[in-house]
Amino acid sequence: MPEWLLTSEQYEPVKDKDTFINKSILSMIGLIARIKAQDSRGRDLFGVNPVVAVFMTFLLVVLISLVRYFSFVLIVITFLILILCLMPAGDIIKVLRVSFVVTVFTFIILLPAAFFGNHLSLTLIPAKVFASVTAVNILAHVYRWNRLIAALRVFRVPNLLIFVLDITLKYIVMLGEFSLEMLYALKLRSVGKNTEKYASLSGIAGTMFLKSRVMAEELHESMVCRGFTGTYKTAAAWRFSFADAVYILMNAGILAVYIYISRG
Amino acid sequence: MHIPDNYLSPATCVVMAAAAVPVVAVSIKKVREEISQAKMPLLGIGAAFSFLTMMFNVPLPGGTTGHAVGGTLIAILLGPYSACISVAVALIIQALLFGDGGILALGANIFNMAIVLPFAGYFIYKLIRDRFGSGKGEIVGAAVGSYVGLNAAALLTAVEFGLQPLLFQTAAGQPLYCPYPLSVSIPAMMIPHLLVAGVVEAVFTVFIYSFIKRVSPGMIYEGKTTRTKAIYGLLAALICLTPLGLLAAGTAWGEWGADEINTVLSGGTMLGFVPQGMQNGFNFNAILPDYAITGLPEIAGYIISAVLGVAILIIAFKILAAFKKNKANV
Repeated sequence: MPEWLLTSEQYEPVKDKDTFINKSILSMIGLIARIKAQDSRGRDLFGVNPVVAVFMTFLLVVLISLVRYFSFVLIVITFLILILCLMPAGDIIKVLRVSFVVTVFTFIILLPAAFFGNHLSLTLIPAKVFASVTAVNILAHVYRWNRLIAALRVFRVPNLLIFVLDITLKYIVMLGEFSLEMLYALKLRSVGKNTEKYASLSGIAGTMFLKSRVMAEELHESMVCRGFTGTYKTAAAWRFSFADAVYILMNAGILAVYIYISRG
Repeated sequence: MHIPDNYLSPATCVVMAAAAVPVVAVSIKKVREEISQAKMPLLGIGAAFSFLTMMFNVPLPGGTTGHAVGGTLIAILLGPYSACISVAVALIIQALLFGDGGILALGANIFNMAIVLPFAGYFIYKLIRDRFGSGKGEIVGAAVGSYVGLNAAALLTAVEFGLQPLLFQTAAGQPLYCPYPLSVSIPAMMIPHLLVAGVVEAVFTVFIYSFIKRVSPGMIYEGKTTRTKAIYGLLAALICLTPLGLLAAGTAWGEWGADEINTVLSGGTMLGFVPQGMQNGFNFNAILPDYAITGLPEIAGYIISAVLGVAILIIAFKILAAFKKNKANV
């Protein structure tokens, strides 16, 4: 047996700072997890068609921004809270967390206005912000993104835009997984002090860019091969359900209240 | 029975809060230990029931109004500790959002309606049920328990009101806060509650209890079917019925605003003055004062308030349940 195999060795790698790799890995995983979690979403908002939901949310946001009466905003908030209370707890927390952060932020920004005597906007504007952010967030948390994209098609959003949105979502996941692997590789190969990590990181970014070009070309070719002409057709037939009717009725009620309040 | 601000002296409020806080703390601890994560949202539904029940004002003899509380019902369904938490949260929402019950008086209100009421009601229910067995004993126990519970709370409220003029006076001998002594407040509170509000509470309790027992027994007994849809349906029906609470004209005894109290009749004489402590006392502006929305008819405001209150209570307890799960996992 050779001599060097018998001598005991003590190798302790020099401490190295790799927080930034860990952080990039975590944020990458978080992003991919968020998109993938969508696949587990089974039901739409109690069976309300996404087309109806997108349109009504849009209407709601417009009404909220137009109105000057606090009571109307309050009614909209009541409606949204009613929808929220029927959602699973996890989604409620996610939606409300964003809404509250944004509302508090708006409130702080508006504080100077209160010192100049404008007390009305101090309550009205944060309430409006809360209502619109909650409305949009409910939509984003209940529906799968591909369902929402499909709904956009009904509103005559150009094909190109939908194409870009659709591909972007898919490729965020694919490229994300790809770069995640490279980050793992970098982490594993950096034993001891590795001063060239920053250079490798830019290498990862560069590789990702090149890879995305190759993938895009392959995708385009394969889509053309399969007969894609650039137009999106929604396959599902329009089915008007009971939930749609209830949802539309409730929104119609809100619209009626808006008209009633604006008159009086 | 919601004591508004400035009816009780700050000292009384502090004493009542000091009495309420430990009981609520023990209840939270008990609920954490005993109620499973899956059952936590039921507390929210219980709180929602109580919230709605309190919106049904019934006219009482003497030109005032009163309402049931439903605390005994929750205590029977989920246990007295859960009832304490549920009613307390409902009271907090009422005080903060709807200006029903004072902020400073919150401790007193919680003590009367969220502690004395469900605990008294539950133990009487238990006593009767154990004596007469389940079945009829349950129904009778629920009726008697809720009746006694509500009246115990009303009596306590009356005593708190009645002690004010004895304890807190100006140099000239005028009462600083609630102007009515025990000899006025106890009969004024107790007669209507014994005659009407207590009966309403008992009817409410028995009706909802037997409905839940028939439709969704899982809420009462472990391992039976729970039909949340039926429960939500009942809540929705109650919300639609809340405007009935508006039929009762007049303000509940002891809930007058500072502008009203001057002209309140008691024993045929008008009060004729506004107590000093009320004139320049603590004032809190709720978002939806008296369950009304400016610019909308009273009924619409009432229904929207009911929806908002119920939804907020359900969300609050759903979130609490979610946090409980996170803690258990760590």
